[in-house]
Amino acid sequence: MLIKIAWRNIWRNKVRSLIIMMAVASGLWSGFFLIAFYNGLIDQRIRSSIESEISHIQIHHPRFTDDYEVQYYIPSAEAILEKIVKNPRVKAAAGRVVLKGMISTTSGSSGIQINGVMPREENQLTQISSRLITGKYFPGIRPNEMIISEKLMKKLKLKLNAKAILTFQDKDGNLASSAFRITGIYKTVNTPYDEMNVFTNIHYLDTLAGISRQYDEIALLLHSGKDVETLKQQLRREYPELEIKSWIEISPEMNLLVSTSDQAMAIYMIIILLALAFGIINTMLMSVLERTREIGMLLALGMNKMKVFTMILLETIFLALAGSPIGVLAGVGTVVYAHRVGINLEQFSGTYSSFGYSSLVYPVLEIQQIVMMLVMVMVTAILASLLPARKALGLHPADAIRQ
Amino acid sequence: MNTVIDAHDLVRIYDKKTIPVYALNGVHLHIERGEFTAIKGPSGSGKTTLLNILGGLDKPTAGYVEINGTNITRLKGNELIDFRLHNIGFVFQSYNLIPVLTAKENIEFIMLLQKKPAKERDVRVRELLQQIGVADKANKRPSELSGGQQQRVAVARALATKPQFILADEPTANLDSVSAGHLLDMMAQLNKEENMTFIFSTHDQRVIEKARRVITLEDGKVVNDTAPAKLMHSSHSG
Repeated sequence: MLIKIAWRNIWRNKVRSLIIMMAVASGLWSGFFLIAFYNGLIDQRIRSSIESEISHIQIHHPRFTDDYEVQYYIPSAEAILEKIVKNPRVKAAAGRVVLKGMISTTSGSSGIQINGVMPREENQLTQISSRLITGKYFPGIRPNEMIISEKLMKKLKLKLNAKAILTFQDKDGNLASSAFRITGIYKTVNTPYDEMNVFTNIHYLDTLAGISRQYDEIALLLHSGKDVETLKQQLRREYPELEIKSWIEISPEMNLLVSTSDQAMAIYMIIILLALAFGIINTMLMSVLERTREIGMLLALGMNKMKVFTMILLETIFLALAGSPIGVLAGVGTVVYAHRVGINLEQFSGTYSSFGYSSLVYPVLEIQQIVMMLVMVMVTAILASLLPARKALGLHPADAIRQ
Repeated sequence: MNTVIDAHDLVRIYDKKTIPVYALNGVHLHIERGEFTAIKGPSGSGKTTLLNILGGLDKPTAGYVEINGTNITRLKGNELIDFRLHNIGFVFQSYNLIPVLTAKENIEFIMLLQKKPAKERDVRVRELLQQIGVADKANKRPSELSGGQQQRVAVARALATKPQFILADEPTANLDSVSAGHLLDMMAQLNKEENMTFIFSTHDQRVIEKARRVITLEDGKVVNDTAPAKLMHSSHSG
């Protein structure tokens, strides 16, 4: 009976109920969209970081990452790489010589990371060739070919086919310099990364660094991100003398990014839910005040306070429940559409790329997030009903009936 | 006959802290089962206050009310609500019915609160709908019923669980003379057939004429009571 009364009560003032239902629906819609947008942004940032920059797993000499000293290369690296690429979990793997150094031209110089890469294998790993905006990806005409970013090219006023000097420390701690010819210009969505990274052929750089046919880094890209931990542990067992890290250990800022975005989302959710709560409180308070005599009559007839409280609570829950399907449909529909076409933030691309984000975002929403949002809306509705319910419970039947 | 209501020296003062207003001032009352009693008096004489106190909707400043031996002035919160649910039927002047329920559902409402079984509810509702003559309107909501029909449904609801007595606060005040006449006839019949105790507050001469006992209030005191001498507990001056 209470359910029947509560359900019918919410339709007594259709316009007011519809407004609050729309508020619930728009709260859910905006909540879903915000969550999905952030998910998309973060997913893309992480995927882009893994697929274009750091890969899923990296192997180093345990002392290499302290100061990036080339003397700490991986012993027997070729044999290790040969074995790793045969692992069915591994999609692509490549050896690298990574050096901290400097690029100099007549226009200036800049501190950079020099990545000596295996052109074919590296392309399977990070697909640099797909990010070339001009020139060619290691055409193989000269050994000293180099690919630099558009950002660095502009900074140092370089051009395609121009030469630049790379200076770095070799295995013995001596400074080594060599001229490299720019054969390709690349651009990723991550401006800071672009500004810091140049690519050369490993087989030229390793000789200059004094570690011929050795690597100081082996990077692995897996078929599935879910296998990272398993494979990492397996490799650690096989090569206990090496440092084997997953992407989250290599790039702890990614973890920070996820937790920061979770916090930002939580703040947005609180704002949305607070607005919703005040809407519900207002509507239900009006509804209770309008029905003072009726509630007084119910109390007089013998409807106890718990039942009156439950009635108000049910009315609020019904309002929230009635608005929820619309919100879920609109929210999920918008996210599905936006996921298909992407949200183009081209006009803000400068800002986004300076933080390593793509300007094209594909929102993603998970089932548990939909459930969580619905639960949060329900909890908000229940909490918001407490004040009106308290108001109703405070009514004195004799006074209420007289009003 | 046995006692249903025993009210002792009821005093109700409003605005105790500023200028005290004595809504009731030493009222003694004794009501036996099956009475058909009207409480009359000018506006402000204390009729509604007395009914509210007898019905457990308000508490006296002094004195007490016993219903079937239970001192209801000592009951609090849900205990009092529960007592009302099981012992007292109410008919108010207006806003009597739950607007979102049909006539049938309104009559059934108190039985539902009392958790009566569905079969018992169904039989009783049908019986009452026939008795009050609105069987054809069973599925109509209050807004689709006339004022007289609404009050009949309210009486049926009050009667549904066979309470100790029914309190009706000016039940005919908003009715035309024909509807008021029908309602009074119906209540008189139910009083006779079901031996149900009715207590009304009223200004309406038609109601007063139908009553078998008339209590007159003035300035919060009983100034006249047509009850047989053996029912009287106190002097008319209250």
